Amino acid sequence: MAGGNEINANESKMAVPLNTWVLISNFKLAYNLLRRPDGTFDRHLAEFLDRKVPANVTPVNGIISFDVLIDRPNNLVARIYRPAPATAAGSIPIFTDLYQPPSSDTFPVIIFFHGGSFAHSSSNSAIYDSLCRRFVSLCDAVVISVNYRRAPEYKYPCAYDDGWAALKWASAEPWLRSGKEGKLRVFLAGDSSGGNIAHHVAVRAAESGIEIAGNILLNSMFGGNRRTESEQRLDGKYFVTIQDRDWYWKAFLPEGADRDHPACNPFGPNGVRLEGLAFPKSLVIVAGLDLVQDWQLAYAEGLKTAGHFVKVVYREQATIGFYLLPNTNHFYEVMEEIKEFVRFNL
Amino acid sequence: MKREHPEGLLGGGDWYGAPVEAAKQGKGKAMMGVEVGAEDEDVDELLAALGYKVRSSDMADVAQKLEQAEMAMGSGVAASDDAFLSHLAADTVHYNPSDISTWVDNILSELNAPPPPLPSLPLRFDAPSPVDRQNRFLDLPPSVSKQSTSTTELPLVTRRTPAEVYELKPVPALPAARAPVRLAYGSDFQLDVAPSPRDSKRIKFCSSPPSSSSSTTDAATSAASPLPVVVVDTQEVGIRLVHALLACAEAVQQENLKASDTLVKQISVLAASQGGAMRKVAGYFAEAVARRIYRPLPRGVVGCSSFDSVAFDDMLHMHFYESCPYLKFAHFTANQAILEAFAGCRRVHVIDFGMRQGLQWPALLQALALRPGGPPSFRLTGIGPPQPDNSDALQEVGWKLAQLAETICVDFHYRGFVASSLADLEPYMLLGQDTDDRGGADNDEPEAVAVNSVLELHQLLARPGVLEKVLRTVHKVRPRIVTVVEQEANHNRGTFQERFTEALHYYSTMFDSLEGGAGVAAADSAGGRDRAMSEVYLGRQICNVVACEGAERTERHETLDQWRGRMTGAGFESVPIGSNAFKQASMLLALFAGGDGYRVEEKEGCLTLGWHTRPLIAASAWRVAADPLSARGT
Repeated sequence: MAGGNEINANESKMAVPLNTWVLISNFKLAYNLLRRPDGTFDRHLAEFLDRKVPANVTPVNGIISFDVLIDRPNNLVARIYRPAPATAAGSIPIFTDLYQPPSSDTFPVIIFFHGGSFAHSSSNSAIYDSLCRRFVSLCDAVVISVNYRRAPEYKYPCAYDDGWAALKWASAEPWLRSGKEGKLRVFLAGDSSGGNIAHHVAVRAAESGIEIAGNILLNSMFGGNRRTESEQRLDGKYFVTIQDRDWYWKAFLPEGADRDHPACNPFGPNGVRLEGLAFPKSLVIVAGLDLVQDWQLAYAEGLKTAGHFVKVVYREQATIGFYLLPNTNHFYEVMEEIKEFVRFNL
Repeated sequence: MKREHPEGLLGGGDWYGAPVEAAKQGKGKAMMGVEVGAEDEDVDELLAALGYKVRSSDMADVAQKLEQAEMAMGSGVAASDDAFLSHLAADTVHYNPSDISTWVDNILSELNAPPPPLPSLPLRFDAPSPVDRQNRFLDLPPSVSKQSTSTTELPLVTRRTPAEVYELKPVPALPAARAPVRLAYGSDFQLDVAPSPRDSKRIKFCSSPPSSSSSTTDAATSAASPLPVVVVDTQEVGIRLVHALLACAEAVQQENLKASDTLVKQISVLAASQGGAMRKVAGYFAEAVARRIYRPLPRGVVGCSSFDSVAFDDMLHMHFYESCPYLKFAHFTANQAILEAFAGCRRVHVIDFGMRQGLQWPALLQALALRPGGPPSFRLTGIGPPQPDNSDALQEVGWKLAQLAETICVDFHYRGFVASSLADLEPYMLLGQDTDDRGGADNDEPEAVAVNSVLELHQLLARPGVLEKVLRTVHKVRPRIVTVVEQEANHNRGTFQERFTEALHYYSTMFDSLEGGAGVAAADSAGGRDRAMSEVYLGRQICNVVACEGAERTERHETLDQWRGRMTGAGFESVPIGSNAFKQASMLLALFAGGDGYRVEEKEGCLTLGWHTRPLIAASAWRVAADPLSARGT
């Protein structure tokens, strides 16, 4: 696997545009420096290297953002993205307008959990600020990007708890409700670890009777003890290795747990049965060059078996991170899928 | 549900635009990621939107470097690679991650020829005699980083009052061999300092990122300047209060006296039912607006401060220093940059534009005392305003520092310089007196100069041309390093209403951090007093921003991007502050602030400290650009 690095580089270089390759390889190099073999994480260096952007209530392309402290004891912050209030038109919006519904029609609220394998990135990371803004204009949505607590400092179930806190917060905000019934039309979305979080928050929501309109899982992070065919075939070939996946699971899962822990493997031997639960419809996007794909496909199968609707979008030639830069068909076509899914299930 | 977007970019299916369109159109570039100046036409826009600066023409080259770095590091499969990787990560100092090319270059050079590690700093500085027991500031807290970085580091000074910092027992009689401490007052000789030769340094400075020349005209930036907002209180009352304040500002902007008067009263009522930070902030803003609309005629000094004494000012400043980490961060980060710039120099000179009580300097003196190879000969020029009561605070501060320097065996020289304005300074004043008192052998080496300005430069913007003059003076002094710390806010551009709105969000966040930072302190405790005085300190700034105009309005805060433009325009280039300083600053916060909300961030070679996601203070370092005439074009 380690041998033939040159071949690997050429393969991955042919799979993505050059600037994407630079972006993802840059992350890969940085991340290699941050993960220590003893399981600890160089958090200070991680924060130093992460490119962040502040929130901005001055409209940019008709979108504004602002940060909200959702839960003071945990310092849980979320970044809200929304279409600029009508009064703004280029200048700073009136503060109270931030909390007005963006539209008199029904509109989706997307609670987004950023990726980073539970350890990296934040809601104010530039890559995710960019993605969330895109979702706003794509779906005419209000997007809530949750700055959940990360591993290894905060293991399971902290990220899920924070996701749940964000959902409860959104449920209590009057301005997020729309339509004749005046209800919250909420989608849970996430990439990588964020997709995993979306699933687990959806389970909790279903168990608690909170209606979720849909789940959107982008290259979501699942796993298990056994090595699947895709993991073995693609190990080290397209920016990701089995070894780094193992590191992140070890960092997130409880001490002594293995990868068949239900957080990692929801349809594995220790999984929770979802039959009969009011679980939302799911859009599961899988990249064909992502070594985790067998687990993602197994996840989709698990949902189907439990009687839940799932649409799988399989992008054969896509790698991880294809949704970070708008420079491939994968990007545009997957965005269309997301748009349609939200529109259809609103 | 379709929606028409007035901006015209997002009609129909054209939502792909978002940040990319903004980048292409030239507006919002600064907001989404790195600042892209005119000379950076070749920069890849997609990566720029994500915070990275890579020229399109360099892309293949950068890709190759990334490949090389990865191959050199191995894939981390073998155990030996892991150990090497850990070592690499622990010891390398990183700079300016936005510039991927130089960032990877740095890693490659570390991989190819890792320099020998420097001896690490002792965790405790044991005072040589019982007399020095009182010098508690010399003690380092035990929890210094397990990973020693490769530069000399500043000791983390434990919390104590500034008075305690200077509390020294009488020093026993010195052996005659020791060089006497020299104090001088006033200005004397003219001296031309030749630029010192570039010492080979342990830390390799990457070439600065392409300097961005942000527009210095208002038109380009004021209309679209980003405004970060952190909402900590979404209660109904809080929102109505903010709304009333903003409506009041609008009324003032429109010169609607009646409406503003009504709103000021309404604000007071609303504020009374509000708690915590928002109540205090609202109070200060309401008071400031009231002063503005009821200013006494004829127009004299609005007098935002009941006391106009420098001593009172300094007192407030000290309480602010104690109650929250912003000034500590400023001093710490600036000192780190100065320390690194002075590496290998045997004669150093620091010029402090705002001496006050000299809180910044004990830590630097100590770090210099402890540096490998021994301390340099240290000269400090402290600049301060005239004292109305003819007291000599500037001199006294110098004496205290001299005593400290004596106990830690640093050859120390001090000169206090009284100036009503920094514009009164001329280069010859700052460079004078560098001959007799420094000892013979070292005289051949020119002294290395650092100019330090913490929250001073923005005041110069109150009069046209003054900042430019001061920067010219600084430039002529040929400093090795110029450290600049400023409030990270845009309180100097746009209309009154825009300024008010910016300031409201800025100070709301600032006050919230005071509340949340050190926990709730009893009103009559030292912590409670610190906080109360800090609120007064900030309240005076608020008053100045809101109620004053023209030359009176000295709290003209500008953002890092704006300062970047000013500094590069004045012939300086950025000296990136590295991951070691970032790490230390983050650790400092964890030790002292107690509030988990504080965040240090890196932005193109500069560091900011903020509350949650809102940067509130920015520290940067500069040096004279290689070719001053073409600094803008590099």
